[in-house]
Amino acid sequence: MNRRVCVAGVGWADGPKTPELTALGLQAQAFGRATADAGLTKQDNDGLASAGYGGMHEVQLAEYLGLTPHWLDSTSCGGSSFEFHALHAFRAIQAGDADTVAIVYGNNELSAAGRSLGTGRAGGGGGAAMPYPMSFELPTGLTLVGAYAMAAQRHKHQYGTTAEHLASIAVQTREHAARNPHAMYRDPITIDDVLNSKLVADPLHKLDCCVISDGGCALILTTEDRARDLGRPLVYVRGAAAGMTHHSIQAMPDLTVTAGAVTGPKAFAEAGIRATDVDTFQMYDSFTYTVLVCLEDLGFAPKGEGGPFAASGALRLGAALPTNTDGGGLSATHPGMRGLFLLCEATRQLRGEAGESQVKGAEIAVAHGSGGWLSTMGTVVLGTEPA
Amino acid sequence: MSDDTGVPSYLIPRVSPEAEEYFAGTLRSELRVQCCDDCGLHHHYPRIACPHCGSGRLQWITASGLGTVHSFTVIRQQGIPIFKAQVPFVVALVDLDEPGARFIAQLPALSPADAAIGMRVQVQFRPASDDLAFVEFAAHD
Repeated sequence: MNRRVCVAGVGWADGPKTPELTALGLQAQAFGRATADAGLTKQDNDGLASAGYGGMHEVQLAEYLGLTPHWLDSTSCGGSSFEFHALHAFRAIQAGDADTVAIVYGNNELSAAGRSLGTGRAGGGGGAAMPYPMSFELPTGLTLVGAYAMAAQRHKHQYGTTAEHLASIAVQTREHAARNPHAMYRDPITIDDVLNSKLVADPLHKLDCCVISDGGCALILTTEDRARDLGRPLVYVRGAAAGMTHHSIQAMPDLTVTAGAVTGPKAFAEAGIRATDVDTFQMYDSFTYTVLVCLEDLGFAPKGEGGPFAASGALRLGAALPTNTDGGGLSATHPGMRGLFLLCEATRQLRGEAGESQVKGAEIAVAHGSGGWLSTMGTVVLGTEPA
Repeated sequence: MSDDTGVPSYLIPRVSPEAEEYFAGTLRSELRVQCCDDCGLHHHYPRIACPHCGSGRLQWITASGLGTVHSFTVIRQQGIPIFKAQVPFVVALVDLDEPGARFIAQLPALSPADAAIGMRVQVQFRPASDDLAFVEFAAHD
């Protein structure tokens, strides 16, 4: 059996600020909306995937939803977990192990924990509970932002990438956010605004960093046959790949090359596409540098030229590679992990349902998730036609 | 707070079995790293098998303590109180002269304006508890 796989439904939870909802509540809201969007009942989902911060999160979610799925995926490797889930669900549905899999995420990061994500939380995470590799990192005072910053610094050193190059990514993403009524920040910003915002960890400024919000979303994958019956515009999973390079940033083999250099070409090959075929790119923009380095790793720009490529305006609507058309993590939504929003936005674009943000004639969309500290990467190619 | 070092207990790692020699070395101001008999490369943090080649034939050596900054950042926002009081400070990836071993470390005395990729640095030790000292680096002329 090697069945084709399509998106059945997508849904978004409320956001960007929802103090009245728990993480599970946001997940249930997104799941309900995706199920309704698909025209399914909840029991039609015989598989469930989710990533959270404790153990058995997807089991908790299934119970909360009143589901007893026979296929589960709790892969939890940071913000790219959901591209891993999509890859695993794609294979499971192709093979016949599951028919319809819901991938669900939601978190009340902003309301529950405030804005400290990535810059150290007072009193948290150390001592006997410190994971072994962190024993050599946490006492240095390095933050999550700092780990990305060291990678960006090395890229600047090797390739002449500038703070302006990085800032241009934030500026173009904000232009997309202006068209999204649910985005956290919508007012236009300039390169100077980014460069004049507070340095958090050199060379990354505050506006090079993603926002902290509440929110959630869900994506349901199913067989082509069932998707046809449901009558929504068909969006095919054409190819997918996932991989990793390191946990601690000191073990990253090359600070200027991510596992995307492997997962991108592998997913593109399965999908039968080249980088130039991609109509819109949904890229986990935890930081501006994450976008810059992955533009190179996925082949949209040669290695070392991601900065000039981005600064040329290529990420805008109507330009070569409209990127993060919902306003991304940099301006719109980031409840702690963003990987699933990429797949949902890619679907919205390919269905032609993106309204003012629509990439005209979009036929191929790529969602690329990054997790940890550029640690784990997953690429999913979606299209309006099968591979 | 641990006695007289000012380091909060939640920042002090548990001394795991594979790192006992490393942490014991920090108390003697010796930078102990493992070297692989099979591939000849060093590594850090301590492990029971070489991350480069997988061999279990490892020896502890005392490193020269000299290295080169591969990259760095200046931490300017940190929520943990002891670090919040210290910002801005430099954290770097330091490649030891012994090939294969890379450290994340603070350079607490270095002015952010003087931090540079490629600069030479030398290890120093800051007492953190009865069991270990933190490994830091300083500019080396």
